[in-house]
Amino acid sequence: MAVEPGWYLLLSAAVFCIGLFGVLVRRNALVFLMSIELMINAANINLVAFALVYGNITGQTFVLFLIALAAAEVAVGIGIILALNRNFESIDVTDAVTMRW
Amino acid sequence: MLGTHPLASSISIPIVPGIGGAEVTALFPLVTFVLILAFGRYLPFKGAFPGIVATGLGFLVALATVVEIAGGAGPRHETLHTLVAGVSGEGVTLTFGVLIDPLSALMLTIVGLISLLVHLFSLGYMNAEGEIDLPRYYAALSLFTFSMMAFVLSDNLLMSFVFFELVGLCSYLLIGFWYREPGPASAAKKAFLVTRFGDYFFLIGVVAVLGTFGTAQFASYAPGVEASFVEIATDALEHGETGEMRTFLGLGERAWITAIGLLVLGGAVGKSAQFPLHTWLPDAMEGPTPVSALIHAATMVAAGVFLIARMYGFYALSPTALAVIALVGGFTAFFAATMALVKQELKQVLAYSTISQYGYMMLALGGGGYVAAVFHLTTHAIFKALLFLGAGAVIIAMHHEENMWEMGGLKDEMRTTYLTFLAGSLALAGIFPFAGFWSKDEVLFETLVHALGGGAPVLFVAYALGLLAVILTAFYTFRMVLLTFHGDPRTDTAEDPHSITLSMKVPLVVLGVLSVVAGVLNMGVFKGFLPENALFLERWLDGATMGEQFRESSLTAEHYHHVLTHDFGAGYSSGYAGLGEGNLALVGGVVALVLALIPAAVAWRLYGGAEPDPHMMNLGRIRTVLMNNYYQDEYQVWLARGFTLPIATLANKFDQGIIDGLVDGSGGVSLFAGGRFRQIQTGVATTYAALLVLGLLILIAVFAVTGGWI
Repeated sequence: MAVEPGWYLLLSAAVFCIGLFGVLVRRNALVFLMSIELMINAANINLVAFALVYGNITGQTFVLFLIALAAAEVAVGIGIILALNRNFESIDVTDAVTMRW
Repeated sequence: MLGTHPLASSISIPIVPGIGGAEVTALFPLVTFVLILAFGRYLPFKGAFPGIVATGLGFLVALATVVEIAGGAGPRHETLHTLVAGVSGEGVTLTFGVLIDPLSALMLTIVGLISLLVHLFSLGYMNAEGEIDLPRYYAALSLFTFSMMAFVLSDNLLMSFVFFELVGLCSYLLIGFWYREPGPASAAKKAFLVTRFGDYFFLIGVVAVLGTFGTAQFASYAPGVEASFVEIATDALEHGETGEMRTFLGLGERAWITAIGLLVLGGAVGKSAQFPLHTWLPDAMEGPTPVSALIHAATMVAAGVFLIARMYGFYALSPTALAVIALVGGFTAFFAATMALVKQELKQVLAYSTISQYGYMMLALGGGGYVAAVFHLTTHAIFKALLFLGAGAVIIAMHHEENMWEMGGLKDEMRTTYLTFLAGSLALAGIFPFAGFWSKDEVLFETLVHALGGGAPVLFVAYALGLLAVILTAFYTFRMVLLTFHGDPRTDTAEDPHSITLSMKVPLVVLGVLSVVAGVLNMGVFKGFLPENALFLERWLDGATMGEQFRESSLTAEHYHHVLTHDFGAGYSSGYAGLGEGNLALVGGVVALVLALIPAAVAWRLYGGAEPDPHMMNLGRIRTVLMNNYYQDEYQVWLARGFTLPIATLANKFDQGIIDGLVDGSGGVSLFAGGRFRQIQTGVATTYAALLVLGLLILIAVFAVTGGWI
């Protein structure tokens, strides 16, 4: 039985909001990164859902690219977090408030 | 058409360039200026030597120019450099060029001669006295000579203005030569500021001339110069050809010409120390005495009168401007002479006599006596330079004591100085047959003739003032001579004065001889009894020796007379009170001589004794007023403080508050806003994220409203 497209959207919005909430309230950079991943995946859900609804492959192709992108982003993000840790002895995002120190 | 007459080349003197290279007279001192500025300390006599050589060569070239003009050469008018070229007849063309005609050649010779003698005299006055900073002195002296010569050679009003200003700058530098003392420094500033006040009007006048006529040329001999502004103005009034002239402010041609004339006159009043801008000149006595000689005889102060003489064809068009000039001149002649009566310092007396004598020249110009003015300019240059240099010699002899009451009895100790100074004084007082007698009478005669002719009644007033000034001049001159040289020595210094050097005596003797004989130039008093061509200066200024190109042009005394005596011009006419020209000239001369001899005799009676009393003390309150120079300085300071300063303060407030306020305000608003907005840049990534979300929400809300979702 096919699921109604509205549910997909609802799921996607929920995942996005959870990610957004994490970005806005958490201070740990790793959680920050994970929250961003959630938001990307919310977008991915949408893409896949519409690809299913319209019956073409474009959305799914996009998702493949996005996963690759997310991997790259994580690589960069982890690097930044490592640098943060080296400089501040913590990975609290509110510590790094100046461009130079 | 060539600038020079064909004859010029045939009689030019080898080695010394004459009219064809007259601008080198100005270049010599310019080169010297640079030389002294760079290497002054290593030059012989700290720069005096190159100065003497340069001015000497300049004088020779000027003489050669005079000789060539006398031989029929000239005029020479050549554009040397174009500063701004007008495009195909549109816009103005600004040029530097030379104009050599009898007037400028004569003036060039005077400047060269006086400058040479002043340099010579300075050897004794400055070098021998062990003054410091001499290279600065000689450099400024050279620059001064250069500026004045270039001013004299100028072929257009703008160039004149440039060098007029440069002359002012040089006088500032030289008056303030001893700038470490407060007196000279302040006198220099005063001279600079007061003359600058007049020059401001001159500057507006220059712009007005350029705007009205599209050219500021004095003459039109040069190729490419179609007409001088004087010629355009003359045509406009004489033939009604107003096409090339543009008037402003809704004034008619004549009124506008008068306005321009009066504006330019402002510069001349400032520089030639005419009332009310004369106050700088007595203070300028703070400078070294040879500088005073140069300033008052040949350069700075002469520049004003020369300027009016240079464009006399223009002034001759405006009876109003002429009346103003005559009145200012006559009044200044009288007014300054009254102040000279009571002064106790030798140089102060001379300073006021300078103002008074330049008043005579202005009177002559206003009274229609162009030749008389130039004549008096010439003789005055000689005898005033002589008097100042003589005063310098006395001051050296008296160890820099200037008060005449501390002197007395110097005539036996300083024979040369006394005799030459006496010659100068007799010339100044206008005693026959010394130079000043002839020129001063010419001034008075021309004014009287045009007053009698009924041209302008104001000329009578000016003439009367001039005549009164004759009496005062003779009195203060003899008072000065008697107090300084006669009687018993009143101090120890006067008993045993310092001796003066040969380099000081030579200029005195040269000028002394000239003071005696210079009247020969134009013995106008005897014009009824002399052959027509014996009035050399008049013939000279008429260009009688020159080719038709000059004689038919608009720069001759003849032409000025033509304009003066026609209704399109000043409308002057000559009246001889039924005596005829020759007799009236003789009567005028005799009257003036008697008027000079009586006060001279009175002065002799009052001050001729061995122990003269300070008789001027008897004048009481009048003396106080005179000693304080009619409180001229006070009221000018009051004007500056009470009137100019508040306006300047207001303008400053407007500038600082409103103009700068706008600029500062826009900066301030940006700064304030930036300061506030800066605070959202916390550096916390969460804040940025929150702002992003907020922005997104707002965007969605906007879409919702405009897209009609709600």
